[in-house]
Amino acid sequence: MKKTINIPIGSQHIALLEPVRFKFECENEKIVGVDSDVGFVHRGIEKACTTKFKYDAIGYVVARVCGLCAITHSMTYTASIEKLIGGEITQKAKYLRILLLELDRIHSHMLCLSHTCENAGFEAMFMRIMGDREDIMEIQELITGNRVQFDYISIGGVNRDIDAALAKKILSKLELVRQKVLGYMDEFTNNWSLSLKFKGVGILTLDDAYRFNAIGPLARASGVQADVRNEIDYLPYNEIGFKMQKHTEGDINARNLIRLNELLNSIEMCNNILEGLPEGEIFTKLRGKPNGESVVRFEAPRGELMYYVKANGSAMLERVRIKTPTFSSIPAFSHIFTGANYADAPAILASFDPCLSCTAK
Amino acid sequence: MFDFKPIRKKSPWILHYNAGSCNGCDIEILACLSPKYDIERFGVINTGNPKQSDVFLVTGPVTFRSRERLIELYTQMPEPKVVMAVGSCTCTGGVFRDMYNVENGLDRYIPVDVYVPGCASSPELIIDGLVKALEILESKTKEIEKPFKLFREASLDNTIVNRRNSALKVGEDTTDDEKN
Amino acid sequence: MMKKIETSIDTLKKDIKEFYDYKKWHFLTLNGVALEDDMLEIQWIFSEYEVKNKIVVYYAHIKYDELIPSIVEIIPSAIISQREIVDMFGVEVEGSQKGLYLDEDSQQKPLSGCSI
Repeated sequence: MKKTINIPIGSQHIALLEPVRFKFECENEKIVGVDSDVGFVHRGIEKACTTKFKYDAIGYVVARVCGLCAITHSMTYTASIEKLIGGEITQKAKYLRILLLELDRIHSHMLCLSHTCENAGFEAMFMRIMGDREDIMEIQELITGNRVQFDYISIGGVNRDIDAALAKKILSKLELVRQKVLGYMDEFTNNWSLSLKFKGVGILTLDDAYRFNAIGPLARASGVQADVRNEIDYLPYNEIGFKMQKHTEGDINARNLIRLNELLNSIEMCNNILEGLPEGEIFTKLRGKPNGESVVRFEAPRGELMYYVKANGSAMLERVRIKTPTFSSIPAFSHIFTGANYADAPAILASFDPCLSCTAK
Repeated sequence: MFDFKPIRKKSPWILHYNAGSCNGCDIEILACLSPKYDIERFGVINTGNPKQSDVFLVTGPVTFRSRERLIELYTQMPEPKVVMAVGSCTCTGGVFRDMYNVENGLDRYIPVDVYVPGCASSPELIIDGLVKALEILESKTKEIEKPFKLFREASLDNTIVNRRNSALKVGEDTTDDEKN
Repeated sequence: MMKKIETSIDTLKKDIKEFYDYKKWHFLTLNGVALEDDMLEIQWIFSEYEVKNKIVVYYAHIKYDELIPSIVEIIPSAIISQREIVDMFGVEVEGSQKGLYLDEDSQQKPLSGCSI
């Protein structure tokens, strides 16, 4: 007699924002095997980058890989092209780029936290965080003119400047958000019913995190010192007060705390940038065509993002390889699911903060 | 006797499916449900069950693998139903047009009632589109209350029966231009 | 900086086994680049934890009909990249089947530069 039951989730499900299909093999309450299908949103952007678009337009195309970390995609691509052309951009443009990258990280982490709460059954917290997230979306709209796909970074600098009045407005809004994040901190650490859902659930040990090459908040919650912001020198992250967050428990609670601490750190970095923004131009025209090959990495909200670009001196590139954070975490995800309770599966899934349109490109 | 009819409205429940979008429109739909924009004041609830929903929100340019699921969800929804295409890539293919794994837009597959453009569509636009969809839903409900005629005059092109026929013919015209 | 080391598909498993220390090196991804004359360059990309800008690339030039060895027993997380290479280039990797992004019976090889 067969002892296991197969339970599918997806591809369309109320707990999922995106189409992904999981097939859980369950023995009573325990998950003993998991099979995933991630290819529902495959569009073929890598091929279009080498056949349809010229190199100066691709920065806006790769932003459409993912709406949540769009700015990191265009940043990474732009950085690799600037490396191949060999130009230098102004200090002010670099700071403005970091400002937008960190604002994007704040709103993405808030979305993830609210989604984790919703999947754990805490609807009120979901609404509260989603409501507060609108402040960040407003700031983004004020700076760039759009809420989600803001095409802010172009090769050679950024597209819009900010003035003193706007900076003051943003600072006051960020202070409001910081107070609210401190409130969540209290809720996430002291709420009894949340701790039942989060503490000791979905554990990834340090050794497994190294073995499965976990990245981003998933790895840092297990104690791996893996933050790409610490491993690049393209943007001046060490000048504006970047601190790496680390926890050792490796459960859902640790991931939430990592995200909350990163929120506070990002807000602090944004404050530092806005208070000490240097004078200067925001755009320098770079001459020449890209030639050669380069690998550039950046820290997206979900982990490490890598672009490999190969160019031959003409306007069309030869190869663009996009390695996205969720894509390389899938082996770690499957490992965590094995042995967990089936009832915890939605909460564990939300704590990974998966982004399937990144994964399938 | 007090007349309830003008103030009584149906609460439309929405079903959301991502057919290959970049998540931008999806988080804007989520933002619509959250406190600032709050479409729940129109009685709108996001439901995961196609058999209980009235409005079908689709985002994305329809990738090859999501086609069957899309049709299945559409056919499982009860009449009357309204389909909304949210986002530029859902309306026309947008930036993904002519990529090898993509159908150019939703209306090649199912009949669309409301097109919401924008990359990504802002919540204000989505709410406008949804209010428009409610009007269409109301007129469709009136339509469906009329007696069903097996044989009808050729002059009626835009009735429910016609729309249902076109839905059943889904996918027939896609075989001729096979993409690589 | 990016350091490129040439290897071949026969010596690959030995090279990676000697090189890869799982607490020091982070496996990024497997990458394929279509070259001229129906050749394919496969790259195994690594980076070092907590060191600035250190990237090591192992690469091998192969033909499209050659079998690429799997490194799953050394690096378990390579399995997903291997499946992607199979889909995108239509090559064969030991122990990986088609069907991550494309349909299992699909004839497409989107990124392949192979003329046949």
